[in-house]
Amino acid sequence: MVAALTAFWPDKPENDWTYTGGFAIACGALAVAIAVAAFAGVRFAAFQRLKRLFPWLFALALFLAAWEVVTAKLGLLPLPFFPPPQAIVEVVIDDWGRLVEGIFASARLLATGYLIGATVGFVTGVAIGWSRLVGYWIHPILRFVGPLPATAWLPLAFFVFPSSFSASIFLIALATGFPVTVLTWSGVAGVKSAYYDIARTLGATQRFLVLKVAIPAAMPHVFVGLFMGLGNSFAVLVVAEMLGVKAGLGWYLQWAQGWAAYANMYAALLLMAFLCSGLITLLFRLRDRLLSWQKGLVRW
Amino acid sequence: MVAVIASDHAARGSTLTLREVSHRFDLEGQPLPVLDRINLQVGRGEFVALLGPSGCGKSTLLRLVAGLDTPTAGSLVTDGREIEAPDPSRVVVFQDPTLYPWRTVWSNVALGLEARGLLRTHRGRIEDALRLVGLTGFANAYPHQLSGGMAQRAALARALVNDPKLLILDEPLGQLDSLTRIAMQAELVSLWQRSSFTALLVTHDVEEALLLAGRVIVLSHRPARIKAEVVNSQPYPRHRGDPHFVELRREVFEQLGLDEAW
Ligand SMILES: Nc1ncnc2c1ncn2[C@@H]1O[C@H](COP(=O)(O)OP(=O)(O)OP(=O)(O)O)[C@@H](O)[C@H]1O
Ligand SMILES: [Mg+2]
Repeated sequence: MVAALTAFWPDKPENDWTYTGGFAIACGALAVAIAVAAFAGVRFAAFQRLKRLFPWLFALALFLAAWEVVTAKLGLLPLPFFPPPQAIVEVVIDDWGRLVEGIFASARLLATGYLIGATVGFVTGVAIGWSRLVGYWIHPILRFVGPLPATAWLPLAFFVFPSSFSASIFLIALATGFPVTVLTWSGVAGVKSAYYDIARTLGATQRFLVLKVAIPAAMPHVFVGLFMGLGNSFAVLVVAEMLGVKAGLGWYLQWAQGWAAYANMYAALLLMAFLCSGLITLLFRLRDRLLSWQKGLVRW
Repeated sequence: MVAVIASDHAARGSTLTLREVSHRFDLEGQPLPVLDRINLQVGRGEFVALLGPSGCGKSTLLRLVAGLDTPTAGSLVTDGREIEAPDPSRVVVFQDPTLYPWRTVWSNVALGLEARGLLRTHRGRIEDALRLVGLTGFANAYPHQLSGGMAQRAALARALVNDPKLLILDEPLGQLDSLTRIAMQAELVSLWQRSSFTALLVTHDVEEALLLAGRVIVLSHRPARIKAEVVNSQPYPRHRGDPHFVELRREVFEQLGLDEAW
């Protein structure tokens, strides 16, 4: 299999060679690197893991080649809307300052909003799940206001808050907070009463019951809420950046569209996809770490 | 003989008195009487076993003694004080081990010490308890990595670490294989003899009750009433083949209404 792959790999750069120099060289270098890795893989166990990726890398290469052929070579697709891959590489190289700025602005906004929303949601959820009084007062509000999409608050938020940045943070926090609250709450409410019985007979205080029994037992639910909240926060982030904050990848996306700079748009989209999937992966890692006791019990 | 054992254990164990204790549950609007005027007197350091058919109310009675529930009528008194809430001097080994799945075996056993802020000073006890139940090698395992019997032994260790005055055992050896079970029974007896706590044991196993306890209380079908009391004053270790033991066993089976089986 490895031999077959290596036979295929060198094909690609030749294909690209005739088109755009820089991109082709990069592709060629990558292909050679992978080919070398493939050869090494025969001998070193360390590369065995990489081997699993080969079919995907191969498919990716095919896709890039097809894209290249359809856009740059044959011109089958209308040009301003569908630029060839090297145009996107060009944008990333030429406009990287603005893109990096955009990434930082987006990340800052998202992180602030998400952390506030997750924290507030978590605390509220625990409080509702634990205290009947808190539940009595907060539950109706949650039921009424919670299902409203956070973006519906957008006009009001930009009007009420002093800056569009703080308004966006509020919206992101809201979008994150609702699922985190509800799932934390249901997690705490669903803790087996036997867990409390045991701790109580061993002399646990209320504080101990909340911190050492209810919260750890509810953690799997909390993480479901955190995942949902993260998804929601991405959506709100992009909308808020497009409509309010004059910074970030969402704004860059719209700006690029306004100038009909479609290559820039694809570049921004690509980066956004990396950012979002990177954050989700990060959260998965955190979960696997905190809930390692759960391995083999439930995987979702 | 009972008196001798009792005085041996006078130092630490607590007394327990149940006066006219009745309890009722609500099952879909219908009252379900479970305990019917139970009167019981347990002396300091005594080992009492409760025997009764499944669903008669044994676990319910133990929950009342633990202070997890309050009886519909009657009163429970320990060391001269009414039982109103759980207290770490009365530790329960529940029927279901219910270890916390997010804690390792070690920190499950540490639970009671941690809850009372004694972890720093009494850390060594955890190792001792784990050794006693034969789980030393599994200190860092998570509950889902244990077998049913191992989980039950871990639950036993979790209770023993707290040095209780009254140990409440709800079929603590129910899931063990017969060999481990015999070993743990002997272990429980020697532990009880050494640590001088009062023990209240619920079991389905007539032999187990007679091997461990000085007194076996036989309960009726639901609602549970005390049907009979069988005293076993034989010294420990007891032997299943002993003619007096066999005679006592026959007596208990008769009280349970199973004499035809013999
Ligand atoms: N929380 C509850 N609500 C309603 N009914 C209950 C509750 N707990 C127990 N019961 C009922 O009380 C009766 C006695 O239950 P209990 O658990 O005390 O039985 P048990 O003697 O321990 O039985 P086993 O030997 O099978 O463990 C049962 O019929 C059960 O249905
Ligand atoms: Mg029971």
